[in-house]
Amino acid sequence: MEDLQDLYENAPCGYLSIGHDGRIVRANATLAAWLGYSTEEILARSFIDLLNVPGRIFYETHFAPLLRMQGFFEEVALDLVTKRDQRVAVLASAVEKRDEEGNLLFTRVTLLKAEERRRYERELVNAKAAAEAARNELAELNASLTARVEKEVNERLRIMRGLTDERETARLREQFLAILGHDLRNPLASIKSGLQMLSRDAQSERARSIIHLMTESSDRMAALIDDLLDLARIRLGGGFKVEPRSVDVAPILEQVVGELRTAHPDKAFETRLDLPQPVFCDAPRIGQLASNLLGNAVVHGAADEPIILEAAIHDGWLSISVANKGAPIPEKVRKRLFRPFFRGEVRPSQQGLGLGLYISSEIAKAHGGTLRLTSGETETRFTLRMPVAPEARRFDRSKSQSARPDE
Amino acid sequence: MSVLVRNNVVQSGAGTRPMMFAHGFGCDQNMWRFVAPHFEEDFRVILFDHVGAGRSDLSAYDREKYADLTGYAADIVEICRELDLRDVIFVGHSVSAMIGMLAAIEAPGLFGGMVFVGPSPRYIDDAGYSGGFTEAQIEELLEFLDDNHMGWSAAMGPVIMGNADRPELAEELVNSFCRTDPEIAKQFARVTFMSDNREDLPKLRVPTLVLQCKEDVIAGQQVGEYVHRALPDSRLVILDATGHCPNLSAPKEVVAAIKAFV
Repeated sequence: MEDLQDLYENAPCGYLSIGHDGRIVRANATLAAWLGYSTEEILARSFIDLLNVPGRIFYETHFAPLLRMQGFFEEVALDLVTKRDQRVAVLASAVEKRDEEGNLLFTRVTLLKAEERRRYERELVNAKAAAEAARNELAELNASLTARVEKEVNERLRIMRGLTDERETARLREQFLAILGHDLRNPLASIKSGLQMLSRDAQSERARSIIHLMTESSDRMAALIDDLLDLARIRLGGGFKVEPRSVDVAPILEQVVGELRTAHPDKAFETRLDLPQPVFCDAPRIGQLASNLLGNAVVHGAADEPIILEAAIHDGWLSISVANKGAPIPEKVRKRLFRPFFRGEVRPSQQGLGLGLYISSEIAKAHGGTLRLTSGETETRFTLRMPVAPEARRFDRSKSQSARPDE
Repeated sequence: MSVLVRNNVVQSGAGTRPMMFAHGFGCDQNMWRFVAPHFEEDFRVILFDHVGAGRSDLSAYDREKYADLTGYAADIVEICRELDLRDVIFVGHSVSAMIGMLAAIEAPGLFGGMVFVGPSPRYIDDAGYSGGFTEAQIEELLEFLDDNHMGWSAAMGPVIMGNADRPELAEELVNSFCRTDPEIAKQFARVTFMSDNREDLPKLRVPTLVLQCKEDVIAGQQVGEYVHRALPDSRLVILDATGHCPNLSAPKEVVAAIKAFV
């Protein structure tokens, strides 16, 4: 026959009863043995005195309210503190005992040792934390992979679009150059040869005057088409066509000055040329540059002052400069001067396309040189500086060779 | 989102003067179940859950906003303004005493009286001040929170099979009472037990009733006396109850003390 008193005292679990004021009113021998106290020592204490500090706080803020609200709690994890300040992990279940009027008599608590279970739970917690960390890492990896794939795809798309654009631009350029080079130039050439034939026949004074004006107009138109062709080559890709070889620059400049003297007989031109050695350059392009600068000086310079062309070679550098008197070029105009389609304030009859200085500066660049402006009260001067010898210049041969003649 | 939904605000009562009850660390507005109904006849009773607790909107929990007690205080001011409350009697348990105090300092016009149940302006001992815990013990608590997820889970969701004595409680308690997201609970514990509001006590200009239990391991009697001394206008009542939750263990005493105060 089982002895109930012995079952209470020596059951394989701890029993205790808590009075309404929180003090322990009864405890069994098993619990006393776990804690290293005598039964009398336990009875002097409150239940929460047996708990570690976190346990006390938890008990007061969570388990005590729970007990009060529902009359019991089950499977609560707590740490008991022994007399020798060691911890005993337990699982606690409790149930309130109330009288018929609902007043609390005491609370019964059963404590089961739970060292192994708590260890297992802690491992679960660690495993959960590790799984969470791994999941986060995976999510991060996924995100970065997605981002990388997206970036790669976008890059490919961009390149493909770029290629399409490039092909389209090249096609337009070919068309544009073909229109300028053939469709506009050929009829103009017919008009000019027609005018030439007409001018040989005997004609009235009026007819000769008109033929002369028409010839001048066709010449201007041809020059404008040439400028547009240059712009198209520079801007639409394919490169600016420069074919340099070793040449004597002085005759080129003299020829250009001669043409301008013929065109502007009432204008004074002074030339100071000191060119003792040949220069590696594209002769027609250098002539074009000089012609542009001199033409600008005629249009914009003071009417009754001479235009000065100077050219010299110093320390392996060729410099060609054109100077004229007249009002200085305003600061804000200077900045835009070398851009395409820039036009200063000139009479409409003298208007070009505003490409002369732009093309000239491109010619300078293509020769590894520069075109600079100085403008003050005394004079306005454009100066080309470029290396005399090919090895001294950063001359882009591949670009010049890739340029295709389109005329 | 509405403040009233966010904080699960529940109103009752036939009176006009508002009485607002705030729960502390650990549980939710059910803490007031045995106290609040006694005031429904004469007051407009307002109950709510702090964000992160009970049936508040957990998605409104913002680690930065609730990194100290001022975030919770701001919520209380918002609720009062949303309901257009004036001359509020604020009843705060545990850490909510200090939260209510911060709200009253922030918005002095809203409150007509304060009741602090088991208040503590600082839980950790300091030079010339006995908060009841050493810094190491509070650190141990915070470590305990980190190490005892499982203990937490056991505390959060004990199975309630029905309660023959009080069947009306069972259903809703299963769902929310003492149930908290572990991460939120951890931060709320840190914010609560690391707080130090001693310097704010003299700034409270509202008449205050301090209710102190005889034996309270969370906020001892010396702490209640400290609060009483530091407040410019307060009355201290020592309850015969033990523990930290007289609103549950000795509701009649609490109700009587509050009625005498108002």
